[in-house]
Amino acid sequence: MPISRRKFLGWMGAAAGLSTAFGSPVHAAANKHFTGYPDSLGILFDSMLCIGCRKCEAGCNKVNELPPPDQPFDDLTVLSKKRRTDTKTFTVVNRYDHPQGTPPPLFRKIQCNHCLEPACASACFVKAFTKTKQGSVVYDASVCVGCRYCMIACPFEIPTYEYDKALAPRIRKCTMCHPRVIEGKLPGCVEICPNEALSFGKRKDLIKIARERIRKYPDRYEDHIYGEHEMGGTSWLYLSGVPFKALEMREDLGVTPAPELTAGALSVVPMVAGLWPVLLTGLYAVSKRKEKIAKLEQQQAVASTLKKANAEAEAKLSNALANARKEKDAAIKREIKKALEEAKQTQETEGS
Amino acid sequence: MSVLVLALCIEAKDTGEILDHRSDLITIDTLESFGDLERPEVIFLHDLHTEALEKSNKDCRTCHLSEKSSKDRLSLKFKRLEDTDKKQVMDVYHAECMGCHREMSASGQTSGPIEVCGECHKENTRLISARLPMAFDKSLHFRHTEANKDEKTNKGNCALCHHEYDKTAKKLFYAKDKEGSCRYCHMKETQDNRMSIRLASHSGCIDCHKKAVAEKKKTGPINCAGCHDAKMQQEIEKIAEVPRLERKQPDVVLIQANNQKTKKDDRMSGMNPVPFDHKAHEGYNDTCRVCHHASLDSCSKKCHTPTGSKEGNYVNFESAMHQKGNKKSCLGCHEINKNQPNCAACHSLNAGNPMIETSCKICHMKPLLKNSPATPMDEKLMAEMLLKSRKVASSTYKDEDIPDKVIIKELAEEYEPVELPHGKIINTLLNNIKNNTLAGYFHAEKGTVCRSCHHNSPLDPKPPRCGSCHGKPFDQGNIFRPGIKGAYHQQCNRCHQELNIEKPTSTGCTDCHKTKKK
Repeated sequence: MPISRRKFLGWMGAAAGLSTAFGSPVHAAANKHFTGYPDSLGILFDSMLCIGCRKCEAGCNKVNELPPPDQPFDDLTVLSKKRRTDTKTFTVVNRYDHPQGTPPPLFRKIQCNHCLEPACASACFVKAFTKTKQGSVVYDASVCVGCRYCMIACPFEIPTYEYDKALAPRIRKCTMCHPRVIEGKLPGCVEICPNEALSFGKRKDLIKIARERIRKYPDRYEDHIYGEHEMGGTSWLYLSGVPFKALEMREDLGVTPAPELTAGALSVVPMVAGLWPVLLTGLYAVSKRKEKIAKLEQQQAVASTLKKANAEAEAKLSNALANARKEKDAAIKREIKKALEEAKQTQETEGS
Repeated sequence: MSVLVLALCIEAKDTGEILDHRSDLITIDTLESFGDLERPEVIFLHDLHTEALEKSNKDCRTCHLSEKSSKDRLSLKFKRLEDTDKKQVMDVYHAECMGCHREMSASGQTSGPIEVCGECHKENTRLISARLPMAFDKSLHFRHTEANKDEKTNKGNCALCHHEYDKTAKKLFYAKDKEGSCRYCHMKETQDNRMSIRLASHSGCIDCHKKAVAEKKKTGPINCAGCHDAKMQQEIEKIAEVPRLERKQPDVVLIQANNQKTKKDDRMSGMNPVPFDHKAHEGYNDTCRVCHHASLDSCSKKCHTPTGSKEGNYVNFESAMHQKGNKKSCLGCHEINKNQPNCAACHSLNAGNPMIETSCKICHMKPLLKNSPATPMDEKLMAEMLLKSRKVASSTYKDEDIPDKVIIKELAEEYEPVELPHGKIINTLLNNIKNNTLAGYFHAEKGTVCRSCHHNSPLDPKPPRCGSCHGKPFDQGNIFRPGIKGAYHQQCNRCHQELNIEKPTSTGCTDCHKTKKK
């Protein structure tokens, strides 16, 4: 019976599910609700305070020592385009029209959201991504194999790949300024924001700040903190005065962290990785044995055929020899008879 | 009963055909009350039909029958007085509609569908209802009173429209000085013999307009578009200064919770009474219904009692007067008023929305007399006296006490220190609310206007510097307080945004900050 790869993984997934349900809780951590590292840090972006000055983009560029931008940071005409992050830009601010038309336009900052349970990290099989206890999701280029699974896994389409680098291309994304934060400094974008549209602090405090703003200005804000629960929660949080859909933010993500969604299938990965050698060696051994037997059989067959052929040949030869002998005898007899008859004739003619 | 469609949205994705926006769409789905419809409902264009009938010298009676009660009053139903049963109603429509269409086309005129079901019962009519509700405001009320004045007495003929219902005699009668909004009795849906507001207004208004048309007098519309079309509504004549509506209403009222003098329940009696300028508030609103939402009787007598009652949906007196976000309450309406740019400039600021301890006293004034007023006359007198004693002017300190320019240098780094035009800002803020009485009451105290920016500081001509409280951002001990840079920018930007100030722009750094010379 042919087994497809899909079917095999399906069985393994079911087996893994059963083992986590009934078995020992070794891999069960992914199915438990993880509320993040205590006191982990985060950033709150308040779109009602953002004025769209692009200073955060400039600050990010400076502290991360990124190449100069295509258009200078004080050129605000780029806001009319819908931009995304790339290998040279870890954050962009886009402008959106207010759904009600006349009020001033709205802005939204885009960068890595630093999920509490990052999809990129769960998809990475070499563990190049780490969720630090400070809250950032950091990347280790030294172990990365460049499979780009993280790019497919990220629901926010954040990791980018240095396709233009022939040697050692890396995944690039916002680090929430991890190196600066552990030194006690503010992230580049937060430090430079003139309007304090970005607040930095403990994630749990940021939620309190966001709630307070919603309570104080119920008409100004949507009663929702984006990132509090989205994808199991993110370290970046957002406030908005319009439904987040109007800022082109995904509202279809649900509240389940990515690793939980993929835990079943992904828990099979180590199993697959572990089983393949055994399986392949087995297959190799089987095929090897098959070959050996076949060779033996062939040899036997050849031998017997040869034997048979030899016997036949011998018989033929002996037959031929016998025939030849017979013919020879007959010929001799015939010759003797002929000679005897000739002698008799000569005698008769001489006698007459 | 055919029902007017408020918003009939028909998708036009497939063909891209231009949709017709009309204010006269009537959905004929009467049969729905007898069970599920077999065919799609019919979208009927009322104005199209009245125009066609007019051309052939026919009038409303072609389709509408006289009511039993009065020959002049026409039923709003089509060719019948009652919805008896499914078969009969259906037959009325089919026979009468198609009969007329046939007659018209026989006489060579363009007419509606005959016989093919799908021509009337269409799934997708490519029509969108653009019908707007019609508001009968003070201006229209005044024009109606003027137009219907009694020739002899030269007084308004209120009885033409206003009436009460006598339950025992089962008759309508007119009660002088009891006039109220139609909607107090005529609700959204018909109840027993009380017509819905829709029926009442259509039969009442149109019947009267029709009569005037017959008499060749200037009158209001009799077609749908005349009242319900956006363009036509704008063409309705507006009186700029509507004279006061006379209904023996008070000029001033002394509002107090313990009006009923119930000694037992005096939980609210601790609060001082509020003198209310009723006459002024009449001018601020388009209809009485804005405040008197259910009747013109006293708010607190039956409904909004000090502890709430079933009639008042258990909204107690305090809530009825102070509920936020509700235009019917005093505080609610005042708060909504603060959303206009000149007010929002300060009141929308992160800090500039204080409910200061003195606010309550501005409405709840200390009685000038020792004894509480005994008679309604006394109450009126006291209210008048209290209103007169109020200070109504936004004011602030003397010019010489107010710095004209303030240099902000704490943050100067990339740029030169900022020169804040302090005096100009105060003048602008004060000028913006100069003619606003409501603002006048609440900003009479010197230093109140200063608090727009110098929030939380004592009312004093020398408030503390911003930097005394605002320092490094994201202070763990004070998570809600912005840092100094954020505080300045948020404050300036928000106010400029509300007042629509074009320059300096929020993103133009050098509009305020001069670049440092190197």
